[in-house]
Amino acid sequence: MRLRLHMTLGWLLPLLCLGVLVITGLRATRPSADLDLKSFGSLPVVANGRVQPLDALARNGLLVIQGRQRIEGEESPASPIAWLAELAFRPDLANQRRIFRINHDEVLGQLGLTQDRSKFVSYGELQDSLPTIEEEADRIAHREVQLWSPYEKALMQLARSVKLYGQLKHALALPGASQLEAEMILFLASIDQALAESEKRNRGEEHNPEVIANSTSRMRVLLEWAPKTHVFTTPSGITGDVSEWRRLADSVIDALDAEDLHPSTMAYARMGDAYRKSGSEGVRDFKEAVSGYRSWLSDQRPDAFTKGKAEALFNKLAPFYASMALYLVAFLLACFSWIWPVGQFRQAAFRIMLLGFLLHSAGLLARMALEGRPPVTNLYSSAVFIGWGAILLSVVVELMYRNAVGTVVAAIVGFATLLVAHHLSLSGDTLEMMRAVLDSNFWLATHVVVITLGYSATFLAGAVAIVYLLRRLVGGVPKKAAQSLRGMVYGIICFATLASFVGTVLGGIWADQSWGRFWGWDPKENGALLIVLWNAIILHARWGGIVRERGMMVMAVFGNIVTSWSWFGTNMLGIGLHSYGFTNAAFTWLSAFVASQLIIMGLGFVRIPGQAMTRSADPSNSGA
Amino acid sequence: MVLLGLGMVLIFVATIAQVEIGIRESQLRYFRSWIAWLEVGPGTLRVSLPLPGGLLLASALLVNLLAAHLTRFKLQWKKVGIFLIHAGVLILLLGELFTALLGWEAQIRLDEGETLNYSTHPWEVELVIIDSSAPGENSVTAIPQSRLRAGAVFPLDGFKVRIERFLPNSEIVPAATAGPEFEAPSATEGSGVAFAVREVPEETAPDRRNLCSAFVKIIPEHGSAPGRWLLSNAISGMQEFKIGDALLTMAIRQRRFYHPFSITLLDFSHDRYLGTEIPKNFSSRIRIVNADRGEDRETLIYMNHPLRYGGLTFYQSGFDNDDTTSIIQVVRNPVWTLPYIACAMVALGLLWVFSQHIVKAIGRRRAEHAS
Repeated sequence: MRLRLHMTLGWLLPLLCLGVLVITGLRATRPSADLDLKSFGSLPVVANGRVQPLDALARNGLLVIQGRQRIEGEESPASPIAWLAELAFRPDLANQRRIFRINHDEVLGQLGLTQDRSKFVSYGELQDSLPTIEEEADRIAHREVQLWSPYEKALMQLARSVKLYGQLKHALALPGASQLEAEMILFLASIDQALAESEKRNRGEEHNPEVIANSTSRMRVLLEWAPKTHVFTTPSGITGDVSEWRRLADSVIDALDAEDLHPSTMAYARMGDAYRKSGSEGVRDFKEAVSGYRSWLSDQRPDAFTKGKAEALFNKLAPFYASMALYLVAFLLACFSWIWPVGQFRQAAFRIMLLGFLLHSAGLLARMALEGRPPVTNLYSSAVFIGWGAILLSVVVELMYRNAVGTVVAAIVGFATLLVAHHLSLSGDTLEMMRAVLDSNFWLATHVVVITLGYSATFLAGAVAIVYLLRRLVGGVPKKAAQSLRGMVYGIICFATLASFVGTVLGGIWADQSWGRFWGWDPKENGALLIVLWNAIILHARWGGIVRERGMMVMAVFGNIVTSWSWFGTNMLGIGLHSYGFTNAAFTWLSAFVASQLIIMGLGFVRIPGQAMTRSADPSNSGA
Repeated sequence: MVLLGLGMVLIFVATIAQVEIGIRESQLRYFRSWIAWLEVGPGTLRVSLPLPGGLLLASALLVNLLAAHLTRFKLQWKKVGIFLIHAGVLILLLGELFTALLGWEAQIRLDEGETLNYSTHPWEVELVIIDSSAPGENSVTAIPQSRLRAGAVFPLDGFKVRIERFLPNSEIVPAATAGPEFEAPSATEGSGVAFAVREVPEETAPDRRNLCSAFVKIIPEHGSAPGRWLLSNAISGMQEFKIGDALLTMAIRQRRFYHPFSITLLDFSHDRYLGTEIPKNFSSRIRIVNADRGEDRETLIYMNHPLRYGGLTFYQSGFDNDDTTSIIQVVRNPVWTLPYIACAMVALGLLWVFSQHIVKAIGRRRAEHAS
């Protein structure tokens, strides 16, 4: 009986995980009885130069403003999109939410606040200080970014948040207007009347100057409203091209020529009016306005409609976070399988890891489809892809050796890189548009992908080496296991050498194609070269017999440091063509990582009595 | 091994150094030198440590590779992969060496509608003296920056040019607005009279260039010369002087490379993504006129799509003046094909060697399973 339980565990545990995933997925997409904010969140707009759903706008906005997506406090909006709806249609309530994160005491002090309760303040509390903030930001903006003090950085961050908050507030409705739909219709009518009156005036007939003044002031309101937002809500024109989208205010002004308000403009006005109504009537009207606009979109702008729906769904399912959880489970089970080799824990761990990998791949593919780009386009996606590549390699390794090492390292690297990705995503939109220099799918697909695979492999070799060094300390590595670990590291380093060399060179060819020089000693180029050189050194040292098993493992761990330098360190220098931006908050983490790797390398030199024999007994046979 | 390791140290140090001294300077100091002096230590207690420079390392690596192949490896089918890899690395190193020796980079800075038949050096200047006294022809004398230093005297036809002072980088302001940190204006002739100068450290950022200035005297063959000119690439236009009856002009300007063709900027455009400042594309529509070849055609230079013409590569490098000036980088690199060949060789070699390993490893595992 006990034996049978062990046998079935190999399938039972993965199925259990799958069940949990399906249930959470279904719960995330279930429609709610209250306001239909889920459909609202999938409505497409253009911001940051790309079509994105309101849901993404809300999430990224909150990330920039408060560094997280959840809003603390009683009766606060339950989701980012609920917050955006409140901000757009009930700014009076939104202004009381404590969402502005202030990172520096001096900034708080300047605003006349103390840090007695939390780092978060509301827009209402900031309102009096807005001129001060603007003045300071103006002064700081003229100084070089590298010279900013921590206070200045915190203040600029706050200024950026305030600006974004204002832009989102003005995106979907005019704050202060009470009846949005009626207001717009009145505006159009008043313009018509005013035109008639001014014609009378031009003819020298009797006219009503009040009507003209009234409509002029309404016009002024619209003209002042337009530049306050960066969100383009209205898919005007006929081709559906991104450049044809208009801001809400502009679309009202356009209506003067077109005679009619755009369906999108009307829909947002109705949503706003419905949102402000209380009770079931509001819920019904809101749903009607949203679904009416959605059916217009699916008919007239199917591309934008599908893209909005898909990205909103992707954000809701958040496949990478589910992968992280699965990797964690797989890691624990795999470690357990070493301690207790009976039963099918190893198989269960491997299958759960595969499940995580499937989700990870699905997420990657979804991002590629949304962006219409190869997998790696910025630092965030490089983290996701490095993890993916490393896991792909370790799946191959695990299938070859079947000793749970592949699963353990896959889980470690997968979890760690997705964690890095999570922290990178806090800086805002991860599907941002590509700068002109990088706008080349061919080179992104070749140079960037291959070199990122090189990073993956170097990290993976380092991770296997860490497993070796740690197991050596805790009870020693059995000879057979040591042999397979050695084979793994060696094989992975070979692949890493190939990928990083080819990737680096493809980069050189890209540079030659677009800038007329093959090599420019740019920091990122140097970093890539360092990885190639280091891998070459390991291989030569191994072939030349300078290092044996343990030496190679220690060197492979150093490969982690070299790769992390090339990945992050070079971006922190802030020079060269590859310095596509990064904050220095990661500097501390990079240093900590390097230190931890150095310690592990040091552990490799600890002598353990009784193990010297096994080491010298094996001749170096993995070499050429 | 040791060489590769030293190479890593050198690259790392040089990358860090780029923060302080800029990419160009660190390239000269670390990679294109025999010995790189690494300055460490706080403040005035700086110690210079010698590091083998890029040239030394590369040459040692070359010798090492050749020696290893001559003495240790024999040409066998088994070793073809290793041989290919090393030959590729050799070509790569040689390619970089030839690029350093034969290549150069320059810029063309064009306003919309402007036509030029030369490119200018991004940071080097030259002192030019133009004699247009003979009808229908200009006699141009250009003195390169490397020879401009205080006390240098250049004898020309009927007069001598003497450099009184040379400032590799300087700040020049109208004398009326100069603060106390500026020197009192000391030029007595030409358009530099009204300017005050001070010496400043050389620029390190790749997108800024030095403003060189020099005080020069023109000494006629007979007689003395009281006049003192201030020349600088910050002062636009030529400055006139007289030798006898002849009127000559002179200036310090970016070093020029003349081309047998001319380029006109027809239109520069800078597209951004809707509602953002993120650049989507930069492009320059230009016209090339080459009288020798009877060519007169239009073409477009844009991101990732340079123009290759007359052995040169023109790529879109920057813009200025509210998107009406285009800066085009001009690169000459006659050995640009070498890296392609080298890379193909190394990649093939690596593939060859590693597939040999895999085949062997699989064979070994089969044997283990069989036994």
